[in-house]
Amino acid sequence: MAANWFSAPAPVTRRVRGYFAPVNRGTQMPVLFDPSEQGRFDLEVPPAPWISLGWIQGFTRKPGSKSAPVLTGVPAAPLSQVRETLQAQVSMQFLSWTKLTMALATGSQHMNVLAAATGAVAAADGAQATTAVIPQAGSTASSFVLAPADAVKFAAGSIVALDVDYTGQTGFVGAPISGAYVRQALTDVDYIRRVTFNVGLVCQANSSGLILAEPLPGGAPATGTKLQAVTGFMDREGGSFFQEWSALFVMEGSQGERIFFHYPRLQTMASSEEAMIPLDGKRQGSQARVLLMGQFMAMPVTDPLDGEHVVCYRSFLPALNALV
Amino acid sequence: MQNAKDSFYMALRTRLTTINPERTILVRGTLRPGILVEEAEAPFSQLPNDVFVLRWLGLGVDMDLSATMAAAECEILYQTCGTQSFGGLDRGRALSKMDEELVAMLTPFYTPKLNYAATPPAAMLTQVFWDEPGMSPVATQRDRLSRSAKTMVYSYQEQGE
Repeated sequence: MAANWFSAPAPVTRRVRGYFAPVNRGTQMPVLFDPSEQGRFDLEVPPAPWISLGWIQGFTRKPGSKSAPVLTGVPAAPLSQVRETLQAQVSMQFLSWTKLTMALATGSQHMNVLAAATGAVAAADGAQATTAVIPQAGSTASSFVLAPADAVKFAAGSIVALDVDYTGQTGFVGAPISGAYVRQALTDVDYIRRVTFNVGLVCQANSSGLILAEPLPGGAPATGTKLQAVTGFMDREGGSFFQEWSALFVMEGSQGERIFFHYPRLQTMASSEEAMIPLDGKRQGSQARVLLMGQFMAMPVTDPLDGEHVVCYRSFLPALNALV
Repeated sequence: MQNAKDSFYMALRTRLTTINPERTILVRGTLRPGILVEEAEAPFSQLPNDVFVLRWLGLGVDMDLSATMAAAECEILYQTCGTQSFGGLDRGRALSKMDEELVAMLTPFYTPKLNYAATPPAAMLTQVFWDEPGMSPVATQRDRLSRSAKTMVYSYQEQGE
């Protein structure tokens, strides 16, 4: 009789895939991954609100938790163990440069460089921006209805940022993802649009509005939001804001098995850094790929199942027909 | 390893019929997708043009596992002289097209392992998987451009293999 099982050796995987989802900074609520319900998701189409960062490389987990023996007797001998510290670090290299990967790989606010107004005074964060425009009724997450006078300010291929005006708020700002923490009132009316993650690429522009290549992360424009053109992105060495995200890393084995590493709370712990990887290492060519380096500190959450403090969940879904 | 080799070849052949159904070859009176296994055909005095030819090279085995892993190196050779209608001046483009087709055939980098000795082919328990191809430089011989790509094809030995 033919066997209907096989003995599976250690998983073989080519690369690691990374997915991130924003932690609600105001309520300190991370995004949870449930391997029982979501474990077999299509790696190309992660369940909301996870955002795929594609392949990553150099994925390294560094547990920093320490335990210590409780000694008793003469001579002292271990009676039991206690966990002294709970800590873990994760590092990786991102294989793409996007708004999200840049933000993850920087130790502070990640900023949009807004298109400068004509004749504006130069500034390191970008000069005073062009006046923001208001999306009209009928706008959606992937299309904006604009007045003809506003529509001509944008062109296909440009990047746009959508968020509310800064009017003296303090605390976390930016929707749907907190882009910064404002300690004291500022004067730049465009500040929130400088730090917002609600950005997209315009693929079509005409006199009645814009169509985006992908929907904005924040969905359809909310009341009070305004649109501005973005010319690039920027981060700074320094600052006091730490990005915090929920993260999910997936290793898919050659036999269909999956290993998940779910960090409910990851905070960036290193300033921006790059790695140069030669495209052709054997021939020592001069072409090199510039990779973003990400280094994160895992923050603890309390597992409601049993009240334990944890920083990471590792799950394994075996291959079909594999012995366990 | 034979099941893995067969599965790899059949996966590429099936994918090629979708990627470029016009790439065909007449073999022993039968029109087939334009991909062959060298060791399964009569010896060639000259490799056919505009066809992918699979040549199996080295073999490695890792037995320090709960299931033995076998790795066979596969060289995929292809060449072209371009088309007669352009007097062969499109041979560079024709080779580029084959490059693209090869990369597309190799993606995704896995396929179910089947036993093609059975009729109909019997599905097995594991998958065959392989690495990215290493492409050689173009070789020019008069009006013929040729290239080869090498990849390691891996599989686990199942019971009865």
